[in-house]
Amino acid sequence: MNTLSRLFSSIFPPLLFFVCAVLLWHLGVELFDIKPFLLPSPLRVAAALKTHITALLNATWLTGTGALCGFLLSFAAGFCISLLFSQSRLIERSLYPYAIFLQTVPIVAIAPLIILWIGHGFYGVVAVSFIISLFPIIANTTTGLTSVGQDLLDLFALNNATRWQILFKLRVPHAVPNMLTGAKISSGLSVIGAIVGEFFAGYGTEHFGLGYLIILTNGQVKTDYLFACIFFCTLLGWAIFTSINVLSKFLLIRWTGVD
Amino acid sequence: MTYILLFSTLFIFACGDSSHTDSAPTSGLTKVSLALNWFPEAEHGGFYAAQVHGYYQKRGLEVEILGGGPDAPVIQRVATGSVTFGVTNADDVLNARAQEAPVVALMAPYQVNPRCIMVHANSGIKNIADIKNITLALSQRPAFSHYLRHKYPFEGVTIVPYPGSVVQFLSNANFAQQGYVFSEPFVARQQGGDPHILLVADIGFNPYASVLIATETTIAQRADIAAAMTGATVEGWEHYLRQPEATNRHINQLNSLMSVDILTYGANQSRALVADEVATQHGIGHMSAERWQTLLTQMVEAGLLDDAADYDIETAYTTRFLP
Repeated sequence: MNTLSRLFSSIFPPLLFFVCAVLLWHLGVELFDIKPFLLPSPLRVAAALKTHITALLNATWLTGTGALCGFLLSFAAGFCISLLFSQSRLIERSLYPYAIFLQTVPIVAIAPLIILWIGHGFYGVVAVSFIISLFPIIANTTTGLTSVGQDLLDLFALNNATRWQILFKLRVPHAVPNMLTGAKISSGLSVIGAIVGEFFAGYGTEHFGLGYLIILTNGQVKTDYLFACIFFCTLLGWAIFTSINVLSKFLLIRWTGVD
Repeated sequence: MTYILLFSTLFIFACGDSSHTDSAPTSGLTKVSLALNWFPEAEHGGFYAAQVHGYYQKRGLEVEILGGGPDAPVIQRVATGSVTFGVTNADDVLNARAQEAPVVALMAPYQVNPRCIMVHANSGIKNIADIKNITLALSQRPAFSHYLRHKYPFEGVTIVPYPGSVVQFLSNANFAQQGYVFSEPFVARQQGGDPHILLVADIGFNPYASVLIATETTIAQRADIAAAMTGATVEGWEHYLRQPEATNRHINQLNSLMSVDILTYGANQSRALVADEVATQHGIGHMSAERWQTLLTQMVEAGLLDDAADYDIETAYTTRFLP
């Protein structure tokens, strides 16, 4: 009963907000007679969603796979790079500016180049998603690895711990909360990266991701269909974010005690 | 010192440019704006010619021409009234009207749509129907790409997004892409490529291109402006086909990526596409119910529009302002 009421109290407020927002949206469209090409009513969006549900689900699946691969790759690569950074101030100082470059480079500008190098299709999409979601992992993990307290380092030193032991028994566990923060930021970015990748890469003749549908519906002024696409994009980002959130709660029990 | 010189030169250029476009309002002229669907190019030649040679001014209009680009929201800007007129393609007019955007076509310069598929000459592909086993770059947006995919099996063809340049065409022998007959093939040839052109209009899919549009409100309430704009634009196109030089120099100043060479080529190629048999008989800009109806049927067929019965094609265009 207790868990049920807790579940209810965590679901009810956002649900109520959702219903109110949709009602307000609908009333606004009706009241001011806003034409569908500017802002479609929620009913129209729902109808478009129903008509195109197969295409939308297929696209979401494809984009989701691209985003997830990009995210996992960036997590693995980001972790390794951070380990390297934590081992040598010199390496960190020489390479960190280039890691920042990954964050600040306009992805839309270099995506066509990446596609030219890697090729069209799935791998191109994953590559763009990877690049855009790498930096938050590096930045956060490096901070976690290098911000270990001096007292703990002294303790390990007193016990003649090897560099290897300090890294894996002290620094890495210490960095887990930071890594998860980085992962949460990157999870949303990986979806954006996959969509931007699809703007330029495409998947071939028969398969289309959400990025393709966005360009298509936007260009053809199919605003209701576009809203349905955006809905699925946010749903996808939310799903990946929530999975990581749940995973991090589970992993962080060691740090924060029983939740 | 060099920098100061450079900057001051740039500054002078910048000033010169703005004073050029913001010419002081002459008394008695009605100010209107025209939004283009792409960067200034030969396909907009007639509109610029009407401005350069004073046809708009002669009919009491001061037209501000606004350049576009990829995904420029021309129809949205016209439909909401933030610009008076726009240039778009016939298929987009029907798409927009399906979403209750009240835009109407006033004149259509291109009787033959300049859209083509550019293949390598040594690919042996002679018709669009023969296309197979290549990578084909198509925009996702325009109706023709949907129509082609609907109509042909395209066996073994990988369709990829249109890259916006001919770089991949030049570097990949197994690559084909969309283009405008007077633009991409010219650039590809200039760079040593071997483009062979397949006109999309030849397979019977031929929406009017560079169509002048306005809202139903403008047409109903400011018919004088709509008539002046349409008439002057037709004269502009006539002039452009006859003498494109001054207009091309002007377009080149606005869009330096378009060399005078390529614009000259574009103007020459446009002659057959704008002033074809129909236009010679009925006048430049002519539109027919039959052509609009065919487009509607084809778009429904390709799954772009729901049901032809839902659309009244007669409301999508008007020929009443044409001379």
